[in-house]
Amino acid sequence: MNALVELRGVGKVYISARDADRVEALAGIDFSVARGEFLTVVGPSGCGKSTLLSLIAGFSAPSSGTVLFEGKPINGPAPERGVMFQDYALFPWRTVAGNVEFGPYARGVAVDRRRARAQELIDLVGLTGFERRYPHELSGGMRQRCALARMLANDPTLWLMDEPLAAVDLQTRMILQDELLRLWGDERDAAERPTVMFVTHGIDEAVLLADRILVLGRRPGRIKEVVKVDLPRPRAGLRNSPEMALLTAHVWSLIRDEAAQAITEESH
Amino acid sequence: MSHSMALPLSTRTRVLLPLGVLLSLLLLWEMAVQGTRTEGLVPHPIGVLASAVSLTASGVIFEAMSGSLARVVIGFAVGAIIGIPLGLAIGTIAPLDRALRPLLDGLRSIAPIAWIPMAILWLGVRGNAALFVVAYGAVFPFIVNASQAARLIDRRLVAAARALGAGPWVMFRSVLLPSTMPMIFTGARIALAFAWASIIAAELAIGIKVAGHGRSVAGIGQLMVETLYVKRDVDALVFYMLAIGVISFAIDAGLRHAQKKLLPWSRA
Repeated sequence: MNALVELRGVGKVYISARDADRVEALAGIDFSVARGEFLTVVGPSGCGKSTLLSLIAGFSAPSSGTVLFEGKPINGPAPERGVMFQDYALFPWRTVAGNVEFGPYARGVAVDRRRARAQELIDLVGLTGFERRYPHELSGGMRQRCALARMLANDPTLWLMDEPLAAVDLQTRMILQDELLRLWGDERDAAERPTVMFVTHGIDEAVLLADRILVLGRRPGRIKEVVKVDLPRPRAGLRNSPEMALLTAHVWSLIRDEAAQAITEESH
Repeated sequence: MSHSMALPLSTRTRVLLPLGVLLSLLLLWEMAVQGTRTEGLVPHPIGVLASAVSLTASGVIFEAMSGSLARVVIGFAVGAIIGIPLGLAIGTIAPLDRALRPLLDGLRSIAPIAWIPMAILWLGVRGNAALFVVAYGAVFPFIVNASQAARLIDRRLVAAARALGAGPWVMFRSVLLPSTMPMIFTGARIALAFAWASIIAAELAIGIKVAGHGRSVAGIGQLMVETLYVKRDVDALVFYMLAIGVISFAIDAGLRHAQKKLLPWSRA
C-alpha cells in the first residue's frame, strides 16, 4: 500500500490573538493514509482533529514537521484535496447547480462540460429537481448532499470531511452515512475507491465507516491509538452487530477520561 | 398599552380610520384659512390642489424634477463608481484601511451642504456645484458599507472557494462581490436618500441665480426659491414639498424591489 498522505513529526502551535497564549494543538504526529483508505478521526474536544484536517487541506501550515501529499509538501489548498465543512459553507448566492459547478468553474472548465458534470452529481446525490433552489431553501440533509456534490465535482483524490454529518438529525445522519459509503465505493473493489479522512464526534459513526480509526488525545493533540476495523463491506447490515459494539466500546474507553476532563475544563 | 389586550381591527376600520383623520384635518385646515381670509399667505388644501393641477398640466414640475433627478442619478453613479471599489479595497487590505480611515472619517464628518460655497466657487452655479455636493454625499455610504461588508466576509466561504480551486480573480468576482452585495445595496439606499436630500439643499442654496438666465438648468430647489421670492406662491411650495416626498418614497421602494429581484437569496 502506498501512502497518499504522510505526516512526519507534525506539530501545530496557535498563538491566541487575545492574550498571546500559546496553544499547542498538535504535537509529534507521525502517520500516513493509504490510497483508497477510509480513515476516521476521533478524539475528545480540543484534541486537534480539525487542525489536522486543515493542515492537510492546506489552510494552514504546520509549526513543525512536514505534511506530504503524493510525496510532495503541501503548499496551500488544491482542488485534488476536496474539503467538506461541518456547517456546509455553501455559497448562499448560488443555486444548488451553481454551488456544485463552482469547482470546475474556478478551474476554468467550459460551461457545457461543467453543467453536465454538475447535473450528473446532483442526480447522484439525489437532489434532482432542486437545481434552481438556493441553500436557504433546503433542509439540512439536502445542504449536506449539495456540499458533497460540490466537493465531488472536482474529482478529488482525497476527501477531507470535517464532521460533515454533525448538524443533521439522527435519522438523516444514518441515511447519509449509507449514501456516503455507497458513493465512496463500499460495494466496489478497494482499488477503485477514493481516499477519505473523516473527522467525527460520533464513535459509532467512526467505526461504521472506517478502515482505520485514528484516535487522538488532547493537550497537546497526539495519536493515542490507531484502531483497525476489520469488518467486511458493505457495512450497512452490520449496524448494531456485536463486533461493531465491541469496537465502539474499545474506542470509547480510549477517549472517555479525557472527554470528561474536557467538559470541566471548558466550563472555565 | 398592551397589544395583546386590544381587539384586532377589521380591514375596513384599518383603512377608514386614518383616512377619516386625514380628511377631517384637511377640512379643518381649509375652513381655518378661508375663515381668516389668509389665502395666499397661508397654504390651504384647495389651493395646493389647484397648483398641482396647473403645474402638472404646464409641465413645470416635470422639467424641474427631471433636472434634479438627472443630477441625483449622475452624482449617485459617481459615488458608486468611486465608493464601491475604494470600500472593498480598504475592507480587504488592512494597511490601506489604516492609511485612509482617519482621512475618510474626517471628510465624512463634513456635511455635504457645507461644501456648497466652495463648490460654487470652483464649479459655478449652473448645476455642477450641485452635482459635486450630491456625489460627495453619496460616496460615503458606499465606502462605509462596502468596506464593512468586505471585513465581515464569511471566512469559511473564502476557505471553501480556495479548496475548490478559486484564484484571486474568481475569489473577487464570485465570492467577494456577491457576498458584499446585500450590504452594498443597503449602502446604495442610504446613498440615494442622502443624494436626494443633498440635491434639494444644494439647489435651494444655489438658488435663484440660475432661474432668470433664459435656458433653464434649474431643478426643483431653484424652482422653490423662485416660487418663494418671485411668485410668492405658498400653495405651489407645498405641492413641491409633497412631490419631493413622493419621489423619495418611490426611489426607496424601487431600490428595495430591485434588491429582491437582483439578489433573491438575500433575505433583506
